Amino acid sequence: MNEYLCHDFKTPRIDTSRRLPSSFRAIPVIFYLALAGSAYVMTMDYFNYKKALKQKVDAEERQALSETQRDAFKNEKADLEAEANKADQVAKWMEGARNIQPIAVKIARAVQTDTRITQMALERSEQVPANIALTLHLNGSQVSTELAAIEAALGQLLYRSYSPQQTKNGDVVEYHSTLVRQAD
Amino acid sequence: MLLDEIKSVLSFAAFKADPDDSAVPWAKRFESRKSLLINVSRGSVSWRSLNKRGRFEEGGTQEGELQDAAPLKGEEWRGMADGGWCSVSVNHRFIISLENNLMRGDNCASLLRTNPRAVLGPKYDRGKRYAICHHPETTASLLLAVEESLVKVTEDVLKTVHLKPGRVCCGLFAMLEHAILSIFRASAGGTPSDFVLIAACEGSLAVLVQQEGQWRDIRCRSGLGPEAVETALQIISPLLAKVPQGSPVYFVGDGHDSKFRTELMLHLEKVGAADLTQDDLLWTIIGEH
Repeated sequence: MNEYLCHDFKTPRIDTSRRLPSSFRAIPVIFYLALAGSAYVMTMDYFNYKKALKQKVDAEERQALSETQRDAFKNEKADLEAEANKADQVAKWMEGARNIQPIAVKIARAVQTDTRITQMALERSEQVPANIALTLHLNGSQVSTELAAIEAALGQLLYRSYSPQQTKNGDVVEYHSTLVRQAD
Repeated sequence: MLLDEIKSVLSFAAFKADPDDSAVPWAKRFESRKSLLINVSRGSVSWRSLNKRGRFEEGGTQEGELQDAAPLKGEEWRGMADGGWCSVSVNHRFIISLENNLMRGDNCASLLRTNPRAVLGPKYDRGKRYAICHHPETTASLLLAVEESLVKVTEDVLKTVHLKPGRVCCGLFAMLEHAILSIFRASAGGTPSDFVLIAACEGSLAVLVQQEGQWRDIRCRSGLGPEAVETALQIISPLLAKVPQGSPVYFVGDGHDSKFRTELMLHLEKVGAADLTQDDLLWTIIGEH
């Protein structure tokens, strides 16, 4: 038995339009769902935009910090490279610098007993440590022979006289030469 | 206009029942809205307002015809109803008769309003408005016929005070329908084959007799005053005699003056009548259902 519905005998209206079918309720429902969805998306977009802005600022800060660090590292690297270069040069210089004691010994042994060495100087070149400036003051009768013997003795040590000069000053012969180390 | 239609769709108002949609219960039509209930009897008009929660609020009674009461109370009534919508019960100038083999169907009530001849056939009278209550188990029906002129005058009078009748019904017939349904629902194990149902509403009386499971007789009378208990008993007594002794007698009544109901019930209690009356029954029926 259905729910009781009171009867009605009023004069029917003639200006009534048909009610929309209940299925049409979906239209406002979809509208409100779309509205809510749009509001949600817009809200999320707004928050994401704000978050992205913050991330951008953070990234810029990180970039600035990284650039500062990079510049510091570059400077440090340049300093280190300069130091390394210097060290390299020192190492090369040290590598090129040979003992000069054998030279002195060779010269002393090459000279005969009647010839006297009044002065001997060995100066290493600052730029090319392998080259040694030799200065000899000899006093004797056979200086030219002695000088040839000295050059030959130095040749045994793989040194070659470069641009030798002799000057006679009384009994003393001054000999200037640059000893150049030859390749092994 | 287009904007209004869009607004009505978006606010779901376009899908709600119209205030005068007879196919929808009154309470559903006026959810969250105030409405007014008016009962028009011979010589008096009573009313009750329904608030937005569907609860009864202030009411009142005015002696005299509706034409006289409406101009006096129109402004007060308009304040009790959103949009001026009211449910009107007309309790006089009607006849209730017993009919058989009337058309039944879902659209019968609607058809009865728009094309009563299609439902009633030769029983149709041009000057009447009709309502039907079918026996739940047999082919018998109660047919209410109300003077059409009375309905139109009632509607016109209400329009003059800017009230819109969303429903015009007969309170007594509505109580009778409601009581019949209640009796048949309450007796799930089988309805009593013999019973007498007495309905009284604001000076109108109807008595229905069922014998051997069939509605046999119906008597109705309107315009009875609070003093007319004797007249009522003269109508009821012959009908009570038709049913076997011990058959159930049901009484249902409502009215602003309880004297008639109380005195009538005193007599009916002698035959073991059961009082089915509830508080504000008339207003509940026309204000909820």
